[in-house]
Amino acid sequence: MAKKSHGPNKHGHDHGNDDGHDHAHDPLEEGAALRVRALEEIVVAKGLVDPDALDAIVEYYERETGPRNGAQVIARAWTDPDFKDWLLKDGTAAINSLGFSGYQGEHIRVIENTDTVHNVVVCTLCSCYPWPVLGLAPAWYKSPAYRSRVVREPRVVLQEFGLNLASSVKVRVWDSTAEVRYLVLPRRPPGSEGMDAPELANIITRNGMIGTASV
Amino acid sequence: MNGIHDMGGMHGFGKVQVDDDTVFGADWQRRAFALVETLAWAVPYSTDQHRYAIECLEPVNYLKHDYFENWIEATETLLIEAGLVDRSELEAGVKRFDINCENHAPVGPQTLVAATRAGAEMIFPADTSTAAFHVGQRVRVLNTHRQGHTRVPGYVRGKCGLIIRNGGIFQFADSLAAGNGPDPQHCYTVEFTSTTLWGDDGSQGDTICLDLWEPYLEAI
Repeated sequence: MAKKSHGPNKHGHDHGNDDGHDHAHDPLEEGAALRVRALEEIVVAKGLVDPDALDAIVEYYERETGPRNGAQVIARAWTDPDFKDWLLKDGTAAINSLGFSGYQGEHIRVIENTDTVHNVVVCTLCSCYPWPVLGLAPAWYKSPAYRSRVVREPRVVLQEFGLNLASSVKVRVWDSTAEVRYLVLPRRPPGSEGMDAPELANIITRNGMIGTASV
Repeated sequence: MNGIHDMGGMHGFGKVQVDDDTVFGADWQRRAFALVETLAWAVPYSTDQHRYAIECLEPVNYLKHDYFENWIEATETLLIEAGLVDRSELEAGVKRFDINCENHAPVGPQTLVAATRAGAEMIFPADTSTAAFHVGQRVRVLNTHRQGHTRVPGYVRGKCGLIIRNGGIFQFADSLAAGNGPDPQHCYTVEFTSTTLWGDDGSQGDTICLDLWEPYLEAI
């Protein structure tokens, strides 16, 4: 629907599109779609791009990356103390050992939520995000509202996500400004003691690993 | 550069649309993403050069246009700068001149996916340079306002924080974006208190951590 079709930089602008029209009727989007098609035709005609590579890279990201990868990492850490130690010490190596690696995940640091510290990740300057373990970033993560506010008023932003933190819990915001990408290790929820790693992986969410949800 | 992209701390963008977890809302966004990734090989350009090209977009367009359209417009800029397309072609949507692809070879699907899966090392051996700062040291972020690409957000410039980690020696984004090679530098995680950054509008006890390269910092 209209809201879903809006790109991340358009939030806060009401285009009055909630009348059932799909994105193709948004002149801004129509222009963007034409622009991309024109560029693709030109660069393919010039021999700069192999069309098969375009399909292959999208397929790679859609099939092989995504928050299910990260959830496996977290579930393993919750069930294997040695792995957890390794993950916190050398996140990249521990994550690579589970078969997850690659562009925008060359250097991953895992930060642990505790009884006293809650971590939340942002990239205020662009949209840096650990692609191999979380996939490509969701629209809200890339939005001006999130990027501008979470460093200044993290508790208010977290409340908008439905996460109310006690004042005794310190918030640590991680702004991804250089080459390290951050993954939050949420606290294992009470009542999950009897669950095995695959069951735990099912309750871990993308937002939990960014820090905008508790799990 | 002091651009519209440097959003940390700004007001006016409203509430976060927390339910909008769209990655690609339309197929043209998929194509745009794929074009940016593949053209990086042929042109070629680095991630930092592409980021800088995004930062140089018209500020009004940066806000008004879709995220992936900004990616595409930045790539158009880099293609034009490399002499591989011109404005009239982009406007007409047709090729008007041929190019010699000898130095601009297209990447094939297997090579692209294998390289993406492997990633690129951005770190350098620990013994290649001596660190100027140490963990536990308080530092100040230099108050600089250069035109080029930098990864120091405006909201920490001139502010004091505590080094909590030396992450190692990394390629330096400012140098790569300027086309001057990796110029490896130590990169530290610096923790700032919320009240240092936002005064009375900050929150007691909360902190903000950033990874900052050594040339951004001075001892205090």
